Amino acid sequence: MNTHTAIRLVSLLSIWMLAAQGQIFQPLLAPANFLGQITSNTVILQQPYCVFTQTCPGCEIWLVAALSSGTGNFNALVNISSPISLSLSPYPTAFLPSSAQFFLTRVGPLANFPCNTAPTFPYFTVGADGICTGINCNGVLPVGSIVSFRYLLIDPNNNTLVNMTNWGGPFNLTTLLSYQTINDGLSARSGAMVVITTLLCVAVALLLLVFFIMLCVSCCGKKDGKTVTVMSSIRMPRYDTHNLKERVHPYDNQAYESDAKNYSTSQTLPKSPVRK
Amino acid sequence: MGAVTCLMVAVVGLNALAAGAGLALSAVAIWVAVDGYKLYPISGVSGKDDIFAGAWIAIFTGFAFFLTCIFGIFAALKRSRALMLVYLIIMFIIFLFESASAITSATNRDYLVGNSNLVKKQMLQYYADSSTQGQQITTTWNNVMTQVQCCGADGPKDWIQYNSTYRQLFGAASLWPLACCRRQSSNFEVANVISCKAGEMTSMFTQGCFQYIESVLSRYTWAVSWYGFSVLMLVFFTLVIAMIYYTQLP
Repeated sequence: MNTHTAIRLVSLLSIWMLAAQGQIFQPLLAPANFLGQITSNTVILQQPYCVFTQTCPGCEIWLVAALSSGTGNFNALVNISSPISLSLSPYPTAFLPSSAQFFLTRVGPLANFPCNTAPTFPYFTVGADGICTGINCNGVLPVGSIVSFRYLLIDPNNNTLVNMTNWGGPFNLTTLLSYQTINDGLSARSGAMVVITTLLCVAVALLLLVFFIMLCVSCCGKKDGKTVTVMSSIRMPRYDTHNLKERVHPYDNQAYESDAKNYSTSQTLPKSPVRK
Repeated sequence: MGAVTCLMVAVVGLNALAAGAGLALSAVAIWVAVDGYKLYPISGVSGKDDIFAGAWIAIFTGFAFFLTCIFGIFAALKRSRALMLVYLIIMFIIFLFESASAITSATNRDYLVGNSNLVKKQMLQYYADSSTQGQQITTTWNNVMTQVQCCGADGPKDWIQYNSTYRQLFGAASLWPLACCRRQSSNFEVANVISCKAGEMTSMFTQGCFQYIESVLSRYTWAVSWYGFSVLMLVFFTLVIAMIYYTQLP
């Protein structure tokens, strides 16, 4: 029992000492189920709940966002428990080639981030202000750069840096592609299109072919068709009575006159109408 | 005489079928041209709207098939060579136009929705643009994203991977349009604006809209080109029988 309690006491003490320094925590990214976790110029971080556990009335939590060269610049410029100037590197000129490559922005008062709460949306976006002009505004980061973050605990009464976390990151921002790079030409022809085109072209060609064959058969084929060419005598019904003169034949059946031309020659036709 | 009568009955029957099929083709093409899904701006702005041009041609050729086939029934019953020849020539001309319509629709569909690149590039270029085309594209995409519950062409990542007109104008306020956010069923307001803007996957739509757009445009295309193709095959068969009938007429 004694050893148990002793071990418990020692572990609690060590945790309290470590927590008091705020060094076991660093800025963390929002979880991976946030699609906007890292974009080309913004990052979504977890808010600093229960990061700084010391009592510091009126203190504020600030964030420093730095490129890889800016981290060294910032480390050289500040120390814990020493005064800090909040306009060290104003945002509008922070990322020029000759500048310090970091900027400071205010997250919120320490009292807003207590330990024993379960906030509903404990995330905030670095870069939420867009392209802004304030000295400490939450402006967008350079596109596609590599950034690191650090939370700072600042006492605004005398502008001293009370505490700060480790560097979180480095996080690689994604590069932004231009939509002009998308190739929107023809990708591939579908099978349906090929089938329809070929079958319809073949059908049109076949129709034309059959049409011309039909015209040839019907126009040129009838002349030597299957007409009867039997030549024989043909009886032309004649209903003349005896009193008529031989020259007129008013009672000939006219329907057979065309047949007479087709089916008989002059030799088979009666030459003389007179039969004595 | 029996064979010719049999052929006449065949010609009359097939022409009646083709007249009905042509009228149905005209009706289906009217459905395509009316564009009930309101996706015309996606093809119109890109200049590749031949699916709808094919539909317009099919309206007229379908109705022309209907009228000419009725004339063909009349010509077959009259057993007149001259009328049958006129019928065959007119049908052949309409056949040419209808096959042009079917081929055009099927070919143009591949340009539009063969893959998602054209739709995605058009969305990135014209969404939130203030030009006429931009307004049309914006309205169309807003409708699609809210009704079909999707975001972007292949997914919401399109809005953060690529530079776009929307990003330049409104990118600081929200990574993607609010049409991508889930809405409450009671009053259709956005359920959780802050989560949606940050991209939490439960408060926004994560699937892409391209699949829906492709399925609708394909549906239009198959209505014009595959149904037109089947009508043309029926008409082809009818015309061959009619030509045989023509040769048997005195």
